[in-house]
Amino acid sequence: MITVYRSLLRLYPAEYRRVFGEEMLAVLSEECDQLASRRSLARVRLFLREAGGLIGGAVREQLRGFLQIEQELSFTTGRFAMRNGFRFPISTIIFMALILGCVLTAIKKGQDIASSVPNVNPPLPIHIQPVHSILLGGMPLFFGFFYAAGLIGWAILYALRRSGVHRLADVSTAPK
Amino acid sequence: MSLYDMSCKDTMESLPLTEPVLLILLSLAGQPMHGYAILKDVERMSNGRVVLSTGTLYGAIRRLLDDDWIERFEEKETPRGRQAYRLTSQGRRNLQMEIDRMKHITRLATLRVATKES
Repeated sequence: MITVYRSLLRLYPAEYRRVFGEEMLAVLSEECDQLASRRSLARVRLFLREAGGLIGGAVREQLRGFLQIEQELSFTTGRFAMRNGFRFPISTIIFMALILGCVLTAIKKGQDIASSVPNVNPPLPIHIQPVHSILLGGMPLFFGFFYAAGLIGWAILYALRRSGVHRLADVSTAPK
Repeated sequence: MSLYDMSCKDTMESLPLTEPVLLILLSLAGQPMHGYAILKDVERMSNGRVVLSTGTLYGAIRRLLDDDWIERFEEKETPRGRQAYRLTSQGRRNLQMEIDRMKHITRLATLRVATKES
């Protein structure tokens, strides 16, 4: 069990492992010792709880490291709380709702006009491709491009973090 | 705004505490404890209802250390991997604020329920 826990601890950021890794392993091994004489079902339950806790904790710490989001996820109570730094501004929600309302109204108006004058435009001799088909054709390309750009950005950030370059900001050249 | 006001504002934003965090702080209120002792104390205090995993416990400990609510307690002869923690004065103050908040709610709830029943 301890070997599995040790492997799961590798999912945590290196800095976190350096500070808490040994303590966590000590706690886990104490728990295993306490359960050594108990039934195998209790041991399985402990293993599942601890493995789940380690994976969840690792995800939280990695997210915190990458995005610098201070989020508090408590899987025990199911509560999810965010701090002020990541709060969605209420004005944004209002503007988004307003824009959505305008778009829906414009669509409705357009449909009303189209249905009130059905044959106002004579058929054209040449075939014009509808604009939405052009847009739909270009959409996957558009999303693919930005998805790739996002992946490249993430890879660069990940490589920088792994290299430890962000710690250079903490280096002081002058004696304290 | 003074530093004290800012600290109070931060504390108020952190309240109410989640149950695991409250129980961790309560277990450290009496004496310094190391990780395994905290786990067992939390389980005992909640009558087995809250069983923390090591990952969850150390996630909470990391946040509480960052926020300066708890601190490492240096013991004379600490075995390897058994680091003890204790409440800071700020942590104790915040815990007291949370207890006061809960007392107020309990009082209010008792009063309202009693009024309704009568």
